[in-house]
Amino acid sequence: MRWRYVVRTVGALICCIGLTMIVPLIFAVCYHDGSEPALIKAMLLTIATGACLFALFRGHRISVMSHREGMAIVTLGWIGAGLVGALPFLFAGTCESFADSFFESVSGFSTTGASILTDIEVVPRGILMWRSLTHWLGGMGIIVLSLAILPFLGVGGMQLYKAEVPGPIPDKLRPRIRDTAMVLWKVYVLFSVIETVLLMFGDMDLFDSLCHTFGTMATGGFSTKNASIGHYNSVYIDTVITVFMLIAGVNFSLHYLALRGRPSHMMKDPECRFFIGAVLVFVLISTMSVFNSVYGSLGGSFRYAVFQVVSIVTTTGYATADFERWPALPQCILLFCMFLGASAGSTGGGMKCMRIMLLIKHAYRELLRLIHPRAVAPVKLGRRPVPDDVIKSVWGFFIIYLGLFILSSFLLAAMNVDVVTSFSAVAACIGNIGPGIGTVGPTDNYAHLPMMAKWLLALCMLLGRLEIYTVIVLFVPEFWRK
Amino acid sequence: MRIIIVGAGEVGFHIAKRLAFENKEVVVIDKRTEALKRFADLLDVQIIQGSGSSPSVLEESGIRGADTFLAVTDSDETNLVACLFANAIEPGIVKFARIRDEDYTKHWPGMVQKSLNIHTVINPEVEVVKTIEKSLAVPDAEHVSDFAEGKIKLIGLRIEANSPVVGERLQDLRQKTGELRFIIAAIFRNERLTVPIGKDRIKAGDLVYFVCGAEELNKVLKIFGIRAEPIRRILIVGGGNIGLRLALELETKQYHIRLIEKDRERCEYLAERLSHTVVLHGDGTDQELLEEENIREIDVAISLTGNEEANVLSSLLARGLGAKRTMTRINKFHYIPIIAAIGLGQIVSPRLSAINSIVLHVRKGKVLSTVSLKGEEAEVLEAVALETSGIVERPLKDLHFPRGAIVLAILREQKSIIPDGESIVHPGDRVIILSTRKNIARVEEELMVKLEYF
Repeated sequence: MRWRYVVRTVGALICCIGLTMIVPLIFAVCYHDGSEPALIKAMLLTIATGACLFALFRGHRISVMSHREGMAIVTLGWIGAGLVGALPFLFAGTCESFADSFFESVSGFSTTGASILTDIEVVPRGILMWRSLTHWLGGMGIIVLSLAILPFLGVGGMQLYKAEVPGPIPDKLRPRIRDTAMVLWKVYVLFSVIETVLLMFGDMDLFDSLCHTFGTMATGGFSTKNASIGHYNSVYIDTVITVFMLIAGVNFSLHYLALRGRPSHMMKDPECRFFIGAVLVFVLISTMSVFNSVYGSLGGSFRYAVFQVVSIVTTTGYATADFERWPALPQCILLFCMFLGASAGSTGGGMKCMRIMLLIKHAYRELLRLIHPRAVAPVKLGRRPVPDDVIKSVWGFFIIYLGLFILSSFLLAAMNVDVVTSFSAVAACIGNIGPGIGTVGPTDNYAHLPMMAKWLLALCMLLGRLEIYTVIVLFVPEFWRK
Repeated sequence: MRIIIVGAGEVGFHIAKRLAFENKEVVVIDKRTEALKRFADLLDVQIIQGSGSSPSVLEESGIRGADTFLAVTDSDETNLVACLFANAIEPGIVKFARIRDEDYTKHWPGMVQKSLNIHTVINPEVEVVKTIEKSLAVPDAEHVSDFAEGKIKLIGLRIEANSPVVGERLQDLRQKTGELRFIIAAIFRNERLTVPIGKDRIKAGDLVYFVCGAEELNKVLKIFGIRAEPIRRILIVGGGNIGLRLALELETKQYHIRLIEKDRERCEYLAERLSHTVVLHGDGTDQELLEEENIREIDVAISLTGNEEANVLSSLLARGLGAKRTMTRINKFHYIPIIAAIGLGQIVSPRLSAINSIVLHVRKGKVLSTVSLKGEEAEVLEAVALETSGIVERPLKDLHFPRGAIVLAILREQKSIIPDGESIVHPGDRVIILSTRKNIARVEEELMVKLEYF
């Protein structure tokens, strides 16, 4: 492990994040909301820190990056982003403690959308913009962004990419990693622009449209209103956001192919079909069970059911209704959705449809083998057989994910958080959703949790965003052996 | 620029590595998942698992719109079929095929070229024989390559401790030699290649690469303390395809050749095919045989069997018994540094020769030939200076070349010029440029036509 190179690269990443603070600063200056000094201070401190780390070790270049170094850079880069991202909240006095600021910042970068703010509408707009911008940067990935814009990351780019986007089956859109990163960001920016414009047609101003677009496209969930999207109570806005949440929950490679004139790939992609199918079934069941019991009209039931289901399954976390008042069945479905998550290669979190699909197929194959002991039946995705190594790795992921879920829930319960809240808060954080059930539901927030719980949940968010392995190997002693 | 490579073997790997380092889009196709894993882990290339001769896999690889197609699997047939479909799908693509079997290559002008439209057929065995022949012409050099049809030579020389140039600064050396023009292009020391400046000193044990005109070569070699003695007696160990080809080629010149081959039947076949060569039945690692054949009087012992460990052993043995020079055939690239360390200077590799030959053709701009130095750390290119490229009409010292890239020679109207900082390249000149690997892309950019602002 060549630490100096790792630190140097993380320094460059932090520098880039500092530069992006110019965006909220512009809004703060336009609105004269009093957050300018805090943002300027945070920006200068961030850039200075990044530049120092970079300059200190600038001479350290390497020709081949190892997997270990790739994972160390990505994990430390994300932790670094969380730390410097907390500065605006701290300096503006939005959050009382550093723990709160860090929680809010990590929740932003990891596109979780869990907040400790009790009254969002009094927060200065510059800070709110930063809060939403962290979503947008973290959604497609700060490493993917850096790969696209920082030329020197070309060395070992693949290692970094694999560490940040560790989907079960890696796909590379273009032969060069830099072009791949660029293509993904272009698609991301394109959809973001379209959504912003569409939201502005729905009587949102530029500021709110941008913030909500950042929250949607990154499947984050930070809103600028206390009542989230429910504040607008508009069918048009609900529809636009639902559609774009779905778009953000589909593999961006498929969007790229569709934009290049090959939309048939999307129809044929097994994961995409599974994802859309699951959403349809869940929406149907939820609509039926909230009809009459909560909402009078079928249309109303459908409207609220579809928004909540899509919001949770894509791990966004926006809300137009308080699903805690719903019957048990739809609540249970939403809890399952938190684990399922969106597609691999999307901006969504959770375990990812692809993994669940592979596990189901593998389980079915085992059953088949009991019936036909001599059957040769590879697990197939579409028409391609999936190597057994991939299946094993997915099982490993599944076990570690559940293990972390259970361990973290126990720890939360040990801090005297009630059972339902413990379980759902961990599920919502590790899956990057945001709102859970219990005292962290869609109408509540995370402010009341003990300090230690906030640190723990912030770690869960990072684990979830980087799909467990990349972060957790840093805790394996073997990783540090020379 | 997109390049499709079929075959994830050594040749494919090294071509992909070089091209990916130069920021080209490289797609590699192979059936073997294991072989592809090495590409995915180490190189920034796209990998596709499937048969390179399957049209659907080729389409998936994005062959439409690609510039170059390389079929370099171990199987001639796969390479030919891959080229056939590549030709059908994207007729304009430039195709290269690695083909070893003589049956195909003999008929290639009529059959293969016309029907498959293959740009160049590369036969690693032919390429390596060419490399050996060149090196025999300048026997003390570890590396010899020709530019401008042999008018300019690039020589790599190991500096012995008793050489008169040891300890000299390059700028002093230049003053001493006066009229005699040559440029020291690169120095390879402690496994690192550097492009030297005037203040650098030559040390014993360095591998020095220099460029000079062909006529001055002997005089320049004298400066380095080398008296060129012509090679007369050659011992070839291993009578396989390459051994036979080399012997046939060398028989046309004035050499005394002995060829050792283990297999009795093969010996008979070889004796049938060869006329002057003495074919010996025996093992190249057999000390008694070598002594009996008077190894002390041999100028060069060339070990060419398919077994590289045996080649290393027989070269070591030959050297120990008094052979003046050895050449050793190596296939595995990671052996190359080890073999230099145990003192077997000259290494020949069919794969390396094939790679050089292929990379040469893939270059854009008006690059005529390229040679790679010492395990691919640097490349020497020969190119035509285009009128609108960045290198013409200004003194060399003002060029926008990156550090680690220098102009070694200029060929104008059939005359070779060894330049200095004040020299100017004219449009239409041929220039020979050395560049370290990471700067190649920038050098290529300079060579390409610049779009002027009208």
